[in-house]
Amino acid sequence: MSLAAEAFVSQMAAAEPWPDNAALYQPLKDDQILLSDCASSLAVQAYLRMCNLPVQVCCRANAEHMSPSGKVPFIHVGNQVVSELGPIVQFTKAKVRGHVSGWGFSSSDLQLCPEGSAVSPQGHSLSEGLDDVQRAEMKAYMELVNNMLLTAELYIQWCDDATAAQITRPRYSSPYSWPLNHILAYQKQWEVRRKMRAIGWAGKSLEQVYEDVGQCCQALSQRLGTQQYFFNKQPTELDALVFGHLFTILTTQLTSDELGEKIKSYSNLLSFCRRIEQNYFQEQERTFGPLPGRQSLL
Amino acid sequence: MGTVHARSLDPLPMHGPDLGMHPDDADLVEVEPETKQEVLENKDVVVQRVHVDGLGRTKEDLLGYEIADVFTAKNLIDVMKKSHEAREKLLRLGIFRKVEVVIDTSEGEDALPNGLDVTFEVTELRRLTGSYNTMVGNNEGSMVLGIKLPNVFGRAEKMTFQFSYGTKETSYGLSFFKPQPGHFDRNVSVNLYKVTGQFPWSSLRETDRGISTEFNFPIWKTNHTLKWEGVWRELGCLARTASFAVREESGHSLKSSLSHAMVIDTRNSAILPRRGTLFKINQELAGYTGGDASFLKEDFEIQLNRRLFWDSVLSASLWGGMILPIGDKQISIADRFYLGGPTSVRGFSMYSIGPQSEGDYLGGEAYWAGGLHLYTPLPFRPGRGGFGDLFRTHFFLNAGNLCNLDYGEGPKAHLKKLAECIRWSYGAGIVLRLGNIARLELNYCIPMGVQSGDRICDGVQFGAGIRFL
Repeated sequence: MSLAAEAFVSQMAAAEPWPDNAALYQPLKDDQILLSDCASSLAVQAYLRMCNLPVQVCCRANAEHMSPSGKVPFIHVGNQVVSELGPIVQFTKAKVRGHVSGWGFSSSDLQLCPEGSAVSPQGHSLSEGLDDVQRAEMKAYMELVNNMLLTAELYIQWCDDATAAQITRPRYSSPYSWPLNHILAYQKQWEVRRKMRAIGWAGKSLEQVYEDVGQCCQALSQRLGTQQYFFNKQPTELDALVFGHLFTILTTQLTSDELGEKIKSYSNLLSFCRRIEQNYFQEQERTFGPLPGRQSLL
Repeated sequence: MGTVHARSLDPLPMHGPDLGMHPDDADLVEVEPETKQEVLENKDVVVQRVHVDGLGRTKEDLLGYEIADVFTAKNLIDVMKKSHEAREKLLRLGIFRKVEVVIDTSEGEDALPNGLDVTFEVTELRRLTGSYNTMVGNNEGSMVLGIKLPNVFGRAEKMTFQFSYGTKETSYGLSFFKPQPGHFDRNVSVNLYKVTGQFPWSSLRETDRGISTEFNFPIWKTNHTLKWEGVWRELGCLARTASFAVREESGHSLKSSLSHAMVIDTRNSAILPRRGTLFKINQELAGYTGGDASFLKEDFEIQLNRRLFWDSVLSASLWGGMILPIGDKQISIADRFYLGGPTSVRGFSMYSIGPQSEGDYLGGEAYWAGGLHLYTPLPFRPGRGGFGDLFRTHFFLNAGNLCNLDYGEGPKAHLKKLAECIRWSYGAGIVLRLGNIARLELNYCIPMGVQSGDRICDGVQFGAGIRFL
């Protein structure tokens, strides 16, 4: 689709309210999903809960191939399919929460946005309260998490031979039968290793990667300080992203515990994760379902 | 006695019902007139020796079967006929470029007065041949580059490599073919292939990489094929706007299936036959030899042809099929049946009948389609005896239905479901015959019984293909 057509379609989509049957697709929870995918999926789930937008989690073996960009998770809302946290944040900013019929809204405190679409207090974007400097800072930290943490997760999963052979390849290929399982696992491994070579991570050793993760955690911990969330008292998409990655690393068993230990050494990050888990995943458990708990991958 | 030559005929050997020579298609032999009025037919002869000259890498035991019949000839006309048949058999092997037959009187010490020597002078094909063809499939065209190694090990084995670049598909394949010496109709072939296809009616893109082993053999008048096939299938959306039902089918799967096909073909030609019937039945069982797909698929095709008054032909055909899932896995969109288009129910767009979601056709699990055609020569018969004979006018009536079945109910419910909401169409047009391979049609169609969701193509519709309803 041309850019103009895409913009038109998103404008049309923006006019529709968030439906009740929105679904989020990710690989199979017990046998297939990998650390990096689980982290990304949890980040999106946390973000949507923070926005108070209900979404049902569906597990499919071919979720990665269903996604329009090839990455999980992706959400299916009405007629739209959007994948990855960045585009999903953009998409939800344009959406309206709740049922809207003409001008007779049931809720009393509604605000009108410049475009003319009504927004209810729960549905507006999480980062609206930030000024430009803070927004730039938030984007910078999100880039840090994506470039450091996510890449480190991919490196440990696919480039470390022990982890790849014992955990990653068997899990990735579990829905397929022989010999397709080996072909797909090796194909994906080759692809990830090629990407690592392109960004210059191929020469790094495992210890160096753990060091990098430690530095990233230190930066996050310093920014967080003693605050509840990264910016003010309201959570933003950065909080969702950091929570997704840290919580998954803490609750996933790999061949070694070093990654988890790095995070545990910063107590404010630990309490941050616990806080978000309590606020967004436990009290709404009745409506949204339980959080993915400890996964033992060995 | 003078020497008698069998005339060399040029057509290349091909598989299929057109293999045999028909009395009305070719002359047999020329006989030089004798100055003496001897009645040759009644003279008893004995074939003493049969030579094959010009063999290079071909093993001799292979040819023994083909030329054995010549020894049984009793008189001269019989010898000529049998040596002509042997020549055809040798050409059919596909290893000789040219075969010439020389019949001469025997010479030498043990020569009988009525003894004959038959010599086949053969020219073998080169070890490596290349070819460049254009191919017409079902409504698509493609350019095919081929490399062929005929007679690789000396017993008519053939190795082929093909690369095909087409409007819809790109593919390559490697195949190895080996006939049983003496019984060319029994053969084994092993194929390795990669095929990609684009299906805009379903917004689907499919890439198949597979290997198959096929075993053909005739039993009495029928031809059977047993095949094992293992395919790695990769499905994807053709456009960002594909419906979610098609998006859900994306991904990789492995199909390992055993199939059996039986063909009885008494038609005189595969394209525009004048008489004869065709009965083809095919079944495929997937899942018991590994793989992800698990189903039982049945498919049949019947065609009856009959000549009527004034050189016109009435043709009736019926197609049908059903696929049953085994276990609780749903049938993949790549295995389902599709219906509609210029090569099946005319008047509808290509494969645009049946279950659909947001404009993408998903195919169905059971279908039937029937056609009644009347082929007549062109009005006023222009170009008669030459070019005009390739054209026929045709009047047709097509009908069909495609749906998904609810397997909990019995067969009566299935038949009832297939009988409701029948799509049908009628019309007339012109058919052009392209050799023995394909046919082109230009029809004016009027579709009827259109259900909501079907896409029609009423008015003029063009079709090209090999297999038409």
